[in-house]
Amino acid sequence: MTTLHILNSGIGSQLQSCLRVLSDGDGILLCGEAVQALRTGSQAAQLLMTQNNYRLYALQEDLEARAIDASQFVLTVVDYPAFVALTVEYARVNSWI
Amino acid sequence: MGDALANLLNFEKFILMVAMRFVISVLSSSTSPATRRALRFAQALLAQKHEIVRVFFYQDGVLSAANNLVVAQDQEDIARQWQDFIRAYDIDAVVCIAAALRRGVLDHVEATRYQRQGGNLAEGYQLSGLGQLHDALQRADRHISFGGA
Amino acid sequence: MAKSVLLMSRQAPWAGIAAAEALDIALAAGAFDLPLSILFLDDGVYQLLEQQQPKMLEQKDLAANLQALPMFGIEQLYVSKYSLSERGVTPDQLAVPAKLLDEVQVQELLRQFDHLVTL
Repeated sequence: MTTLHILNSGIGSQLQSCLRVLSDGDGILLCGEAVQALRTGSQAAQLLMTQNNYRLYALQEDLEARAIDASQFVLTVVDYPAFVALTVEYARVNSWI
Repeated sequence: MGDALANLLNFEKFILMVAMRFVISVLSSSTSPATRRALRFAQALLAQKHEIVRVFFYQDGVLSAANNLVVAQDQEDIARQWQDFIRAYDIDAVVCIAAALRRGVLDHVEATRYQRQGGNLAEGYQLSGLGQLHDALQRADRHISFGGA
Repeated sequence: MAKSVLLMSRQAPWAGIAAAEALDIALAAGAFDLPLSILFLDDGVYQLLEQQQPKMLEQKDLAANLQALPMFGIEQLYVSKYSLSERGVTPDQLAVPAKLLDEVQVQELLRQFDHLVTL
């Protein structure tokens, strides 16, 4: 009964708040500006690494558009069909805006 | 025991492949990347044979339901793409009436009621209340919203 | 059985119309007799503060709508203790009674609902 959290803001408060309210086994899908959190050395990247109780996903088009190398993270890159599959796999979706 | 486990795993796979009923809330205007993302997601949903119970336009999302947006030729017209999608697949598209009126999106009935010049609600969309969001949530397996950036 | 909905209200009351529009979702659920709970999180906790003067900003007072929630059958109001303390707000400053939840309780709350609506 886990939750898929979708983040789309590059500003840290969404991510900070999400990390606090998520349960073990929840997923975080980064899309839009939220993928900037994957930049090596960023504060958001450090924040993501402070916890390892969630699964991490990122939307492919947003990674590629911003030329972000996310290789330091254990994450799954998803296209739209895989995005849909994630929303089915998790019991509920929490879209942070 | 091994067979039982295999059956269980197949059952899980089966569950994952079952068509689900989705409500999509669009909360951002057509210039926001979130509104484009919502459309691409909705298209992918139908491609996988899931059902869209309703698309509910709320907050600045109501702005995508206006038929008088003019977009430069070298830019994607996401509002128009949404409108084409709604009509092509006969999607139940509800625009929150209170949110729409305060942002200048009116159908002909409301335009007449408030003595404004003509309605601008795109064809295929309906103005209605927030009860329509709740009605859809009650009939849906999943709710996903797109807003912000 | 009716599907349960948790509304997560994260916007400050005077930062635009978002907080009021979130509250309207709750009032509509009440009008249709549907189960809905609200969690005030992040800047959303400011909505619960006492002695605010929205008239100074020519804005409508949210307090009346918040206080009307029980009459609409919306009785489950929760507030994040962490969000309060992060903002230097103490529970005695809240004009609207809401149940204080620590971080683990917030996590548990989210898992209980069929749908989440975050605004």
